[in-house]
Amino acid sequence: METNKHFLVGVFNDQDDLLHAVEHIRHKGVKIHEVYTPYPIHTLEHVLGYKRSWMPKAAFMFGALGTTCAITMQSWMLGYDWPMIIGGKSFIAIPDFVPVTFETTVLFAAFGMSFTFFVSQGLGLFKVPRIFDIRATDDKLVMAIDLGKNKLAEADIKAILSESHADEIYRKDFTDAENNPTFMGYLIDLFNNGVTVSGRKLIR
Amino acid sequence: MQVISTVREPLITGGKTIKDVTEDICKQVEGAPSKSWIAAFGLSFLLLAVGGAFLGDLFWTGIGRWGLNKTVNWAWDITNFVWWVGIGHAGTLISAVLLLFRQKWRTSINRAAEAMTIFAVFCAGSFILMHVGRTWLAYWCLPLPNTYGSLWVNFNSPLVWDVFAISTYLSVSLVFWFIGLIPDLATIRDRATGAVSRFIYGMLSLGWDGSTKSWMHYEAVSLVLAGLSTPLVLSVHTIVSMDFATSVIPGWHTTIFPPYFVAGAIFSGFAMVLTLMLVVRKVYKLEDYVTMEHIEMMNIIIIVTGSIVGIAYTTEFFIAWYSQVPYEQYAFLNRMTGPYWWAYWAMMTCNVISPQLFWFKKIRTSLMMTFVLSIVVNIGMWFERFVIIVTSLHRDYLPSSWVMFSPTLWDIMCYAFSFGLFFTFFFLFAKYFPVINMAEVKAVWKDSNPKVYKARRTISNDWIPENERVEEVVH
Amino acid sequence: MKSEHSHHTDHNLDERFVFSDGVRKTIFIILGLGVVFFAIGIAMLALGGSGHDAHALAFSGGESGSVDSGHHGYHWTNRLVVNFWHNNIYFVGITIVGVFFVALQYAAHAGWGVLVKRIPEAFGGFLPIIGGLILLVFVVDAFVGNHVLFHWVDPSLYIENTPNYDPIIAGKQAFLNTPFFIIRMLLFLGGWYAFYLAIRKNSLLEDLEKHTTSKYFWKIKTISTLFIIFFALSSSMSAWDWVLSIDTHWFSTMFGWYVFASWFVTGAATITLGVIFLKEMGYLKSVTESHLHDLGKFVFAFSVFWTYIWFSQFLLIYYANIPEETAYYLERLSSDYYSKFFFVNIFLNFFFPFLSLMTRDAKRKVGILKFVCMVVMFGHWLDFYLMITPGTLKENGGFGFLEIGLAMIYLALFTFVVAKNLAKSPLIAKNHPMLEESLNHHI
Repeated sequence: METNKHFLVGVFNDQDDLLHAVEHIRHKGVKIHEVYTPYPIHTLEHVLGYKRSWMPKAAFMFGALGTTCAITMQSWMLGYDWPMIIGGKSFIAIPDFVPVTFETTVLFAAFGMSFTFFVSQGLGLFKVPRIFDIRATDDKLVMAIDLGKNKLAEADIKAILSESHADEIYRKDFTDAENNPTFMGYLIDLFNNGVTVSGRKLIR
Repeated sequence: MQVISTVREPLITGGKTIKDVTEDICKQVEGAPSKSWIAAFGLSFLLLAVGGAFLGDLFWTGIGRWGLNKTVNWAWDITNFVWWVGIGHAGTLISAVLLLFRQKWRTSINRAAEAMTIFAVFCAGSFILMHVGRTWLAYWCLPLPNTYGSLWVNFNSPLVWDVFAISTYLSVSLVFWFIGLIPDLATIRDRATGAVSRFIYGMLSLGWDGSTKSWMHYEAVSLVLAGLSTPLVLSVHTIVSMDFATSVIPGWHTTIFPPYFVAGAIFSGFAMVLTLMLVVRKVYKLEDYVTMEHIEMMNIIIIVTGSIVGIAYTTEFFIAWYSQVPYEQYAFLNRMTGPYWWAYWAMMTCNVISPQLFWFKKIRTSLMMTFVLSIVVNIGMWFERFVIIVTSLHRDYLPSSWVMFSPTLWDIMCYAFSFGLFFTFFFLFAKYFPVINMAEVKAVWKDSNPKVYKARRTISNDWIPENERVEEVVH
Repeated sequence: MKSEHSHHTDHNLDERFVFSDGVRKTIFIILGLGVVFFAIGIAMLALGGSGHDAHALAFSGGESGSVDSGHHGYHWTNRLVVNFWHNNIYFVGITIVGVFFVALQYAAHAGWGVLVKRIPEAFGGFLPIIGGLILLVFVVDAFVGNHVLFHWVDPSLYIENTPNYDPIIAGKQAFLNTPFFIIRMLLFLGGWYAFYLAIRKNSLLEDLEKHTTSKYFWKIKTISTLFIIFFALSSSMSAWDWVLSIDTHWFSTMFGWYVFASWFVTGAATITLGVIFLKEMGYLKSVTESHLHDLGKFVFAFSVFWTYIWFSQFLLIYYANIPEETAYYLERLSSDYYSKFFFVNIFLNFFFPFLSLMTRDAKRKVGILKFVCMVVMFGHWLDFYLMITPGTLKENGGFGFLEIGLAMIYLALFTFVVAKNLAKSPLIAKNHPMLEESLNHHI
């Protein structure tokens, strides 16, 4: 549920300018809502002060689950439920179980982590993103500052943004509908009004 | 701060800007299909349909159509299966192993290579389904509870390992590939001018907005997936090799099989990537993204893996003699000088001898030679599997099975079907998806753009205290 | 160039390693302890009779063909010879992997490792000594000694129609004969040393230049590529010669790569330890957590690779269950004595490094990395013990003061020679064209 509607947007062209700007702006005590970029910029998350991703931990947990499941499944099926002598080996022939155990571990880890990623980031087929500046998936680096969450006046933040070499600065106001887009709303809008005048105002 | 040594070649040429990257790649997705694309796609689809008719007959009548009354008659179809699986290794290798090795040149080719991987595994999978015979019962390969007294699948069988390996590999590769596509699909979504394409790419991009937090997790996920895919890709061909090597057939049962099959798979996969990329690069005018440097790097990997395969062939021969086991000695001698000597020498020439030409810089930087040799390598790798399977089976322990192999029409047409399947998918991909990973290319753009070549810089991972910092670094 | 980059860290690019008295003292303490253990070990064996331990009774595996038929039975000196050979093979691996590691960095255009490359480079200096020891121990055992190491050097095996005649070994005579074996040995060791000298020479010449230059980089790259080709062939063949032919009847196509994998992990762990020790002594200030992280990745990844090779070889032999192949594993697994080592080997070389180096943080912490590398070095030393001892000593294998003492002596010798070699050149190749990448390496 997004409730904040009023943002200042700073657009940057160069990733190094952006990194310096983020440092400068945070140094001045301005809270940055988020930065949207068309490609991953290493160190940007450090400069923004984000904690390291916990995805590897999720992968490990799911992987361990996969290992356990695979060993249990194979041992139970071939060792207890329906034992059969195969190739003169023991019912539970551990070396023979290694390949399937490995594959299952990888399967669980990969899928578990990927779905954790989708769910935690709110990514899904019916997700309609709230977009600040459409060029953020092309070549611009877009910084959003939430006016509602900063004590400084808009003019002051604007001044800080411009002294940190933002190439463009503008104010962005979302309507309630834009703030919490629904898939149905988006669909109706898209096909009724066409792309350029859709509910999400596009800045070109 | 990251510094790039001047001995390195730039990764993108032609003074492209980040905007150009978006334009050059999206253009192909957004434009109407060209005539040549329609022709190529039509041809592939025709092949798929004609091959499919024979395949349908195979399903209807049974795999007796392949003439399976001796073990060696399986040769053609198993060869095709292994060949396709092998080709389906390069994509994951490029995106996973080369990511772990920080080889930035992979960014321009990984998308197409991964797509190719997935389609090649589809083809391999189609052969598994054909081999089953009663394809509608293929689910019996899975450990599902059943009404036959809970008789479970045999986890001691390498064929069951294969079921797990191939299906895991296919699904994990798909996820890896799809996650890599998400940001690029979002780019296309935001550029789309039609409601339908905006809707479809919008759905597929899962609402990606490029926030730093998402990127951070995305990067972590990519890295872990790479770490998982690296042993996975090795395990797949390892397990395929174990289909042979766990047996007691001379020429099949040899301990070097797992790593040597993996090397061979990488070898053939890279050759296929080269064949396809050289065409895509030319048709889509991507010479500034897939540069001579990229082609040279891939050729070097071809020399390395080709030589590893060559060493493995020699090792097998030597150890067969050294073992002093008459069956082993016969199997290998027969391979080289027996009735299938021509297949053996075709394999040796294509796989070991001809790639050595790439030691010459002139040859490995020649587009024509690279294209020709990449096809030669794939012919050679087909023969490798053929040699392994046929020479060992046509003279096995049971003299009543001693026959020469000749393919039936159904054998050939099922192979044609797999080509149709592969190229139909590949052309669809090349038209409707970005063939180059735009986000990743943009991320290495600053490292590699010749315009900023002399003064490249980025900020370090480590927090540098304000007072120790300089604003600009002048080189 | 350089001064602009020194804005946040001062890089001392001219630093040299001083082989100080303190370092010498540590090495001599290890040597001294080793000698004492070794002497105790010898005394116990010589005085304790034949040295048959309790486990000998439980031993039941082994190739009947190569279990001895009378004329050279077990004597305690056999164990001594085997120990020398074990350490020879282990340490020649570390030594040559040092050179190989440097070659690999050049061939792959790896920039991150420039700061640490002088350490593996210095390993090569040990080649003449360890090469000499290999030759010496082989010659002594084959011509003077008991034929403990290689059963096939016994000439009586090749005389037809005698009780000792072994048709299988006789069939291998074209390859396994003493003159050809020695020629190959000289070729491999000599070739490795020649490549080492060529790389080393050009690397030191680069230091004498006034500025960063890529001239030597390209030259060393060419030498490195040639060396890698040579090593790809010679590492496998030397493994067949020096290790595989111990169990003379047995064969496995994977074996050459298996020995290589074991050597490579050990080498990577040794390089990492070398870097850590130098850092702890106050050198290599420019080497950061990121470099250690990369070295740790090598130890981690190649531990997994070793396991892959180990498992593939084991599984295929276990699965097919062909008698001439399973002999090798039966010799180890059905012995109460060796089977313990068999499982310890997997634990120390796979489970331990895999689990302890899995996280990013573990690879960046000096303490953890140091401990894991030591364990891995010890683990692979056991791996070679398990490759060499059962085939040579059969049921008479032992593990005690002698083994530990001799390993310590070798370790001291290796460290001494490498440290001396390291002190001869600057610690950092300051004119390397990729040095800046390494100085600014962050992951």
